[in-house]
Amino acid sequence: MFDHGQPSYAEVNKDVLSVMLVTGRGYWMLLGCTMSLAGIFFLMPWIYQLFVGVGAAGMNRNAVWGTYLSNFIFWIGLSHSGTLLSAVLHITNSQWRKSIYRSAEAMTLFSLMTAALFVMVHLGRVWYVHWSFPIPNQMGLWPNFRSPLMFDVMAITTYMIASSIFIYMGSVPDFAAVRDASTGLRRRLYTIFSFGWRGTAKEWHTLGWAYTFFAVFVIPLAVSVHSIVSWDFALSLVPGLHHTIFAPYFVCGAIFSGTAGIVTVMYCLRKFLNFERYIGQEHLDNLGKLLLVLSLIWSYINILELFNTWYGGTSFELEAMRFRLTGFYAPLYWEMILFCAFVPLLMFFKKIRLSWNKMLLLSILINIGMLTERFIIVATSQPRKFLPDAFGFYFPSWIEISITIGSFGIFATLFLIFIKWVPAVSIYEVKETLKPLRRDA
Amino acid sequence: MAIVGTFAYEEDFLAAAKNLKSSGFDNISLLSPIPLEEAQEVLGLGKSPVRRFSLAGAIIGALSGFAMSVATALVFILPTGGRAIITVPPYLIITYEMTILFGVLFTLIGFHFVSGLPAWRDRPYLPSANIDRFLVVVENAAGDQVARAEAIIRQAGAEQIQHVEVDQ
Repeated sequence: MFDHGQPSYAEVNKDVLSVMLVTGRGYWMLLGCTMSLAGIFFLMPWIYQLFVGVGAAGMNRNAVWGTYLSNFIFWIGLSHSGTLLSAVLHITNSQWRKSIYRSAEAMTLFSLMTAALFVMVHLGRVWYVHWSFPIPNQMGLWPNFRSPLMFDVMAITTYMIASSIFIYMGSVPDFAAVRDASTGLRRRLYTIFSFGWRGTAKEWHTLGWAYTFFAVFVIPLAVSVHSIVSWDFALSLVPGLHHTIFAPYFVCGAIFSGTAGIVTVMYCLRKFLNFERYIGQEHLDNLGKLLLVLSLIWSYINILELFNTWYGGTSFELEAMRFRLTGFYAPLYWEMILFCAFVPLLMFFKKIRLSWNKMLLLSILINIGMLTERFIIVATSQPRKFLPDAFGFYFPSWIEISITIGSFGIFATLFLIFIKWVPAVSIYEVKETLKPLRRDA
Repeated sequence: MAIVGTFAYEEDFLAAAKNLKSSGFDNISLLSPIPLEEAQEVLGLGKSPVRRFSLAGAIIGALSGFAMSVATALVFILPTGGRAIITVPPYLIITYEMTILFGVLFTLIGFHFVSGLPAWRDRPYLPSANIDRFLVVVENAAGDQVARAEAIIRQAGAEQIQHVEVDQ
């Protein structure tokens, strides 16, 4: 499990906490870059759009959904593997989870936050966002819970709260370690964050039970969230979207892109935070196998979607399929197939699965493919509805493209802040994987 | 006063805990850097009451999720295509999400209630317990208990024994 020899308990504390407590110039420069990316590419165009109205985006009468919603699905999808994988591996007591789950869960949380921002950008008049919550108001207006969009509000809010609690509670013993290793204001803050944790048998016992229940709740929740996101599309009658396969298709795609995202994040943790000792080739190999299986399932569902459309023989569905496969956005469709169905097959080779650089490249290509997939779902279906007078065309404006680029800055900024506030690798769970402190060990 | 014994090895720590328990010391705390099932067994910690909180939360969440969906439909009537005002299938999705939301929130409350955290008052503790040492704490020791407890802890192989005054 450990590539460079097994560390001692004290070394685990030292290695993990030094990432939090020691901050070099490189960190501040990187944080400055990501914040600039978020500010210039995301925030400024959004402010512009708030002034001139949502018409500044490329959406139009026949294509009322665009890049904002395809990005929303992408980021929700990226959020899927972290908490879900962590919960599943916790229930199954997998040891290899322990070094990587904290950062994977953080990825979930920050992807969700980024996704929620896209809903707000898409809304246009963001100051009315509270209307989508069941809050008493003077207009007597209440949300319509028959709408899949309201399913979304409930599911994503629940997922965000549950994921936050899941990552926080798993971090409490490590917050106590930070408290003990720091002084002054930081010590006072972490005394509060750690709830006065001492590591008594009763505290461990209660945390163990609570954590298992959190995991049990989170697994069906994660599956339901992306199923519900898929129903935003599938419950409409729009050709190309009205498919029963959409829920498993979205869930599988979400776990696929999320797992690829974990590989990218793990690479960065290893490379830039010196976690080589804790994140080893075993993790990479396991994640590679998982990606391969997910890629095969994803490919199967894609073939099935095409087959069902062809076998059904409805002219509207056939036209939507023709437009997707051979229309203006066909190059993007085939790029998606290349990156998500064919390129991952390279992971059949162990040599590829054990190479950090190759796996990084593959994980990035997979996520480019998945970003494209979300775009294709939105951009090729709505503008191809039933009769030709409802046909239209959607192309993202520079504001939408800029906001898409900026969203990566927001995610990176949140993650960089996270690694300075929360131990990026779980200290106590890594210790659990070491040889016990026994005389005979 | 509390007696704190520090151990470098897990088996010494567990031996001290077992001996103290069998000698009638009920007021002991066992501190370790990782969760140890054996330590929990020594203290007789079985199934945690947290699970009752989770179940209660899930039931309350399910009921309130369905009730909320029905209530909002009744106070803001929105007829759509001749469908019923109260439409059960979509409300089950809201019910499902609320079941999970309340289940998680009640589990969190259960954790705090059962563990007694947050607890920011002074209690016997050494930072080494969060690194690589195991602590046996005998709380409220008085009279001949002090000497007996110390003897048991020392015999088990403690590195260090300290007396800590705690404000109760």
